[in-house]
Amino acid sequence: MPVGTFRRAGSAMLVVLIAVSVLFPLAWMAIAGFKGKDEVLRSPFQFFPDMWRWSNYTAILKDHTFTRAMIVTFVGALIFTVLSLVVNSMAAYAFARLEFRGKRFWWVYCIMPMFIPTMAILLTSFVVVSKLGMLNTMAVLIIPGVASAAQMFFLRQYYLNFPIAVEEAAMIDGANRWQVFLRVFLPQSAAPFVVVGIASYLAYWNAYVWPILTITDPSLTQIMQFLGTFRSDRGNDWGMLMAGSTLASLPTVLLLLIFQRYIVNGVRISGMK
Amino acid sequence: MALLDSNRAAASPKAPGAVPRRVGARRQDNLTAYLMIAPMVVLLGVFVMWPLAYSVYLSTFEISFYKAPKFVGAQFYKYVLESADFWHSILIGLSYALLVVPTGIVIALLLASFIKTLSKRVAAFMKVTVYLPAVVSTVIASVLFTFMYQDAGVVNWFLSLINHAPIAWLNSPQWALPAIAVPGIWLGFGITTLILLAALLDIPDSYYESAMLDGANFFQRLRYITIPLLKNVLLYLFVTGFTLAIQMLDLPLIMTNGGPTGATTTPNFYIFNSFRELTPYATSYSLTASLLLFVVLGAISIVIFRLIRSDKAVDG
Repeated sequence: MPVGTFRRAGSAMLVVLIAVSVLFPLAWMAIAGFKGKDEVLRSPFQFFPDMWRWSNYTAILKDHTFTRAMIVTFVGALIFTVLSLVVNSMAAYAFARLEFRGKRFWWVYCIMPMFIPTMAILLTSFVVVSKLGMLNTMAVLIIPGVASAAQMFFLRQYYLNFPIAVEEAAMIDGANRWQVFLRVFLPQSAAPFVVVGIASYLAYWNAYVWPILTITDPSLTQIMQFLGTFRSDRGNDWGMLMAGSTLASLPTVLLLLIFQRYIVNGVRISGMK
Repeated sequence: MALLDSNRAAASPKAPGAVPRRVGARRQDNLTAYLMIAPMVVLLGVFVMWPLAYSVYLSTFEISFYKAPKFVGAQFYKYVLESADFWHSILIGLSYALLVVPTGIVIALLLASFIKTLSKRVAAFMKVTVYLPAVVSTVIASVLFTFMYQDAGVVNWFLSLINHAPIAWLNSPQWALPAIAVPGIWLGFGITTLILLAALLDIPDSYYESAMLDGANFFQRLRYITIPLLKNVLLYLFVTGFTLAIQMLDLPLIMTNGGPTGATTTPNFYIFNSFRELTPYATSYSLTASLLLFVVLGAISIVIFRLIRSDKAVDG
């Protein structure tokens, strides 16, 4: 059918267009990793290097500080993501589905942190965690950010959309609220969990200022802290920074490839019909 | 009293008792609910509320490296509120958010609708691809876009194709803000697209099928099925989008340094600048300004919450 062919060609072109506009900057970053120190920022703009040199990539891969920072940050990011999904989804369910005394007050209390500018509490947060003796531990990187108003808000909005009938059916069968949450809501949260989970993971992975404030122990150095050294101590080595950023983005891309499959047709509504 | 009552009656279009309220029929679950919110409440209490209270306390003192802190009450609040630069930065932040958020959501909605129609394989590729800009750090995106905006950059090359003189994007007061809004949209539309895709996939196909049988076109389906059913998610996207956009710091910091003539001085850039200025009391002043920004963000969010009401669960 000509209309079908036309439509197909159109959507293929759109796919290519979007892919190019998104992948171009990434390709530039990866290729800039092959450039020399002052070549990256040279004007006018140049896509390919004068000479392809592997030295930036090999230097970073041989650097044990880099490997350790990748592992430490990756493990921290995974723990952080799981903990925040547990804490925030529980609160989200309560705010979306339960009636309780003081609900409005606690709702405002839990949503308010979303509007607090980082600058307003950055220094005093540092004072608080140092009073709690948390400096230079994994805990100081993970725990303070676990409760997230934005993530809880997202999951609550998602749970508001769940049909009431599903919940009522389970409760008529004698399930209590915990069982409804664990057996009805959680199994059908894969898509929203992947979406906010990746956001949490990235927030942890890309954190820069907080690790710099709280971590001085070299064995806990985070990946962005490591990359930051190319911009200060070692005098703005853009080639190294680009090579390091490219390597540092690989685990995230891998996770995206694995988890994108969960963002598919929800089973809950189709299963009900 | 009578006036107050009539106001209230006018505010709620439904007569009381006309519609049986579902919420009232549900029993309370105090204990379960408290246990479920407890971890979040405690963590926020320790790591957000405590530092916040401490910041508010500190903002009533004059802190300088050379002298002992001195209590000054609300004096810094007065300084900030009387500063024209502070209000100007709020205005810039709002303009930036108005450029970035609605555009980003519209693009993401179109893109998500498009991905939904693709085959499984291509859809998988697109789901990963659209998210990739978020993986690149803001620093790298800023550097790259600065290149593209140069006089001899890619953007002006496109202008030359339509015989237009090059524009000094980052150096012209009227173009600088839109110019930094583009990377702002680019960095954020991936997550927005995935969120909307996840929500779109939850709308049963049968709704669209029956609408198409009734002869509804694409825009009618969008207007009467998609948007109403996405209301809960859209509320989230608007509130978080505005909150984050108004607080943008990295892009103006790297691309324009707040200029030209303050055209890209967002609130956080203003606060950051007053913090690094070496005047005495820079700490107290910037702390107070950021606390006042918190109030502004809260107020804007209340307006958005009012505009998009979404407190009801959907009756399946």
